[in-house]
Amino acid sequence: MIVRLAWRSIWRNRRRTLITVSSIGLGLTCAIFFIAMADGVYVQLINDAVRMQAGHVTLEHPEYRDAPAIDLYLPDTRALRTQIEKMINVERTKLLILGQGVAKSGVGTVGVSVMGVEPSVEAKTSPLVNNIISGRYLEDTDGSLIVVGSKLADRLHLKKGKKLVLTTNDVSGALTEELCRVAGIFETGVDEIDGYLIQAPISFLRKLYGFPPGGATQLGVVLKKASAQRKVIKWIQPIARENSFSVYPWQNVMPELASYIKLDRGSNLILQAILLFLILFTIFNTISMSVLERNKEFAVLKAIGTQSFHMRAQLILESVFIGLIGCFLGLLVGGLASYALQIWGFDITSLYSDEISISGFAVSPIIHAKLSGSMLFWLVGIVMGATLLLSLIPMRRATNVNIAETLR
Amino acid sequence: MNVLRHAWRNIWRNKRRTGITLAAVTLNTAILIMVYALMDGMIKHTVHSATNVVIGEVQAHGEGYREDLSFYKSLPDPEAFLEKAAANNIGAAPRSYGFGLVSVGSKSAGALFWGIDPALEREVFDLDENLQSGRFLLEKPEQGIVLGKKLARSLHAKVGSEIIVVVQAADGSLGNELYTVTGILKSVGDYIDRGAAILHQDDFRELFVSGGRIHEIAFNSRGKIPVEEVAAMVTPANQEAEVRTWRELVPMLNDMVRLFDTVIWIFGAIFFLAAGLGVMNTMLMATYERIREFGILKAIGTSPWRIVSNMALEALVLSVTAAAVGLILGLLGTYYLSAVGIDTSLFAGEFSFSGVAFDPIWRAAFSVEAAVVPMVVMCVICTIASLYPAVIAARLDPVRAIHHV
Amino acid sequence: MAQGVGDSPPCESQPVSLSLRPALGFKITACLITLLLALLFTPTMARAEQQVLTPKEILDRVDDLVRGDSSHGKMTMTITTAHWKRSLTIEGWSKGKDKSLMRILAPKKEKGTATLRSGNNIWNFLPKVKRVIKLPSSMMASSWMGSHFTNDDLVKESRMADDYDFELTFEGDKDGQPVVEITCIPREDAAVVWGKVIVTVKKNDYLPLEVRYYDEDLILARTMTFEDVGPLGGRILPRRFIAVPADKPRESTLIVYEEMAFDLELDDDFFSLRSLQR
Repeated sequence: MIVRLAWRSIWRNRRRTLITVSSIGLGLTCAIFFIAMADGVYVQLINDAVRMQAGHVTLEHPEYRDAPAIDLYLPDTRALRTQIEKMINVERTKLLILGQGVAKSGVGTVGVSVMGVEPSVEAKTSPLVNNIISGRYLEDTDGSLIVVGSKLADRLHLKKGKKLVLTTNDVSGALTEELCRVAGIFETGVDEIDGYLIQAPISFLRKLYGFPPGGATQLGVVLKKASAQRKVIKWIQPIARENSFSVYPWQNVMPELASYIKLDRGSNLILQAILLFLILFTIFNTISMSVLERNKEFAVLKAIGTQSFHMRAQLILESVFIGLIGCFLGLLVGGLASYALQIWGFDITSLYSDEISISGFAVSPIIHAKLSGSMLFWLVGIVMGATLLLSLIPMRRATNVNIAETLR
Repeated sequence: MNVLRHAWRNIWRNKRRTGITLAAVTLNTAILIMVYALMDGMIKHTVHSATNVVIGEVQAHGEGYREDLSFYKSLPDPEAFLEKAAANNIGAAPRSYGFGLVSVGSKSAGALFWGIDPALEREVFDLDENLQSGRFLLEKPEQGIVLGKKLARSLHAKVGSEIIVVVQAADGSLGNELYTVTGILKSVGDYIDRGAAILHQDDFRELFVSGGRIHEIAFNSRGKIPVEEVAAMVTPANQEAEVRTWRELVPMLNDMVRLFDTVIWIFGAIFFLAAGLGVMNTMLMATYERIREFGILKAIGTSPWRIVSNMALEALVLSVTAAAVGLILGLLGTYYLSAVGIDTSLFAGEFSFSGVAFDPIWRAAFSVEAAVVPMVVMCVICTIASLYPAVIAARLDPVRAIHHV
Repeated sequence: MAQGVGDSPPCESQPVSLSLRPALGFKITACLITLLLALLFTPTMARAEQQVLTPKEILDRVDDLVRGDSSHGKMTMTITTAHWKRSLTIEGWSKGKDKSLMRILAPKKEKGTATLRSGNNIWNFLPKVKRVIKLPSSMMASSWMGSHFTNDDLVKESRMADDYDFELTFEGDKDGQPVVEITCIPREDAAVVWGKVIVTVKKNDYLPLEVRYYDEDLILARTMTFEDVGPLGGRILPRRFIAVPADKPRESTLIVYEEMAFDLELDDDFFSLRSLQR
């Protein structure tokens, strides 16, 4: 009965209802879009970095983190790996060897970072694979083929098929060197990567550094969902301890990226809070305006003897309806807009008339939104709750309306 | 004047409605001003962070130095630069660079040695404030050395550690010396973290037999003068030198800042949208409630044009008043946010990203634009939002308008 | 030992390993290296009888120079670069294939500075600060004592025969003397950066005259010349040795052997960190 009354009442003044509903809906749209976009920016950043480096969760020799050295390696990861790959939320695991070396060509010599990868795994995870500018990426059968950064290639005059001698210290500290040939050249736009990184098949680096089969400096776990990180670490911890390996979240492995994101998220949080305040304030304004304008109606209702309890119940229900419709509208518009941005992305560089040189994955110029169920849930909850709470304030005045005064 | 007074009186006929509208416009304007200033501040903050620690706004190098970092391609006449900078009141820090080997105990690593003038460095840049332990170099040479964070870690060096340094000096001889670590830098950018070993200019000269060669002068006006002007001001005539702004020196950072700008302005646009829609809705509602009143006015023979112009005037008076109050509130808020700032280290620790060490305090930046744009936008939206229902009312026939709910 | 100022190319940011001197990873075959360091000469070259040898045998002959027990010598190394020129007097000892010790006698500033090589490791002793430092692998590519040789060159072991295929490409007179020119083509899998190496030796005694190194595009990268054949340590050997980088023809490192002795009694203990510091 009251439900029907409330429903009919909100449609009696269509225009007022539409304005209130649109306030809620558009506010929610803005909030969803804003947060989804902000989240999307670093989801992409994390995703690229984690996939290129050592996964969402990284296993290492316990002393490696403090002072990385090639002799602090994981001797045999095979059993552990199969165990981890069986866990839910784990997309795949990747083995890495990270080392230093000196790369020599007939033209010159450069100190380099050497990264040993499993080509077939890397091809499925690392964004580097998409940044090959000449030649091709590594394949499992490659033997001593390598891919090098574009700036390094320039400096050593390397092209596809050219020779390079890699000199380094093996696990026992002895000097060792191997010949390799360039399979391809990559360019990411990041000097530290383009100028100094060499990727080689892990089997080749095991030979170079004197690792046992299955040995690696890092075992990276790439997750299907970044949010499952804590759970997966908890599962891995006991089996890693048996092998006396240490387990780290990516935040420890890439602390700079982690704190950048924390900072960004922090400042975004401030902006989000201000935005939310702005939206709630508008909702409050429209609701209180609409309730106050109805004083006469309340006075009449009161005059014909309607109990204030009933009046309040009806008003609350009206707010619920308006809130629900508004939220539905907001979810629809905001959700669809964000979803579109999530799927297609927006290339900011199209806003610039001149060429912007960022390529690859350090800072992706293509913004993707990131919608998440929990974000939508929270926003709708906040807006809904606020709508109800905010409608209570003017309601008190409405039910306490002075009949004689108002009807005059 | 009379018209204005009339409008003013009319506005206050319905105090509650006006109060709500006024509050909406005031608050939205104030918030927009603050957010605008905060976003502006964030961009300045990024640039400031990028340049204030070591890079500077402008750098001068010897011709060709940046291509191969050859020790011999130093600045032919660094004094001329320093004099020009001093004359224009721009901070300038001269630096020398050379490669060599550092060793502590059984650990050793290659490093890039810096020869700096600690007093100038301290005055012009913030490197001295970015130490994780120990202290910066003193003004007098003291055989002290400051190491980059990762370099210190890989050497297992601590404050007080004795460091053996071996370099090939400018005359081809073998320079070697013992220094004591006085400080270890925080993370201030990868190339410094991994390789910087910072010495007093005098110690550097002795070690490298450098004869006082200067490879780089970094200029910093701390944002007081636009970078291009700084570059023009410090460059003496007829110099065989390369003068570049930070945008050219670190193009990647420049691109990053530009991308960052864009993202921030997209965020800003969402803010304007939210605030604009909020004010519009409030104003629409307020005006619609008055359609009955317009009907009566029309019934007593007021021309539709008169109704609309009255309404527009009222809306304008209301929004200008509100925006003015909003401006005052916004400026106060901005003042607070620029003087005190928001300490971002509350949610993120020290860090650097792509070679930029970030200042943890995020401050709003004052600008006329930040104050004017939100005000104008708010007033325009208000007036338009009130005109729409007024025009509708003016076209209605009086009887329907009066019964309009 | 010290990598340095020289004309070190940029290495802005890289890790522990700085990039060094370009184009000078003089990966020399063992015979040259050891010649340079005045080590390991053996008397096997004594018989200079005329024989017809295959290119490989000829190079084995050259290589044989290194198969000695021990040596002791003194030399001056004169380095000329675009920016400076200087001379070092060096005393050196060697034993077997992988042990050597060198000590600088002059000039005064560097007197007493010593380099010990044992296996693949290099240590330096710095008398000024009275410390020994072990060279990290990242410094292997840097210049040794400012010369046109890298530390890496010091530790290279002889792999000439394993790494290359040989071909006799010229036999006849050159500059008025009969020579044999052998072209060494690196094997597919050899850890060699060169496209080819051409070794010219005298036809009558197989003493080396010149070695030219070409990069992968077969452009000359550097030349080493051997001159002034005469008595040295009881043998007849070239006594001057010049290395010139092709991209900087005005730069060079010249080594002149002053005295030399072979097959001495040297303890393994002589090549220890303790004796390095003496």
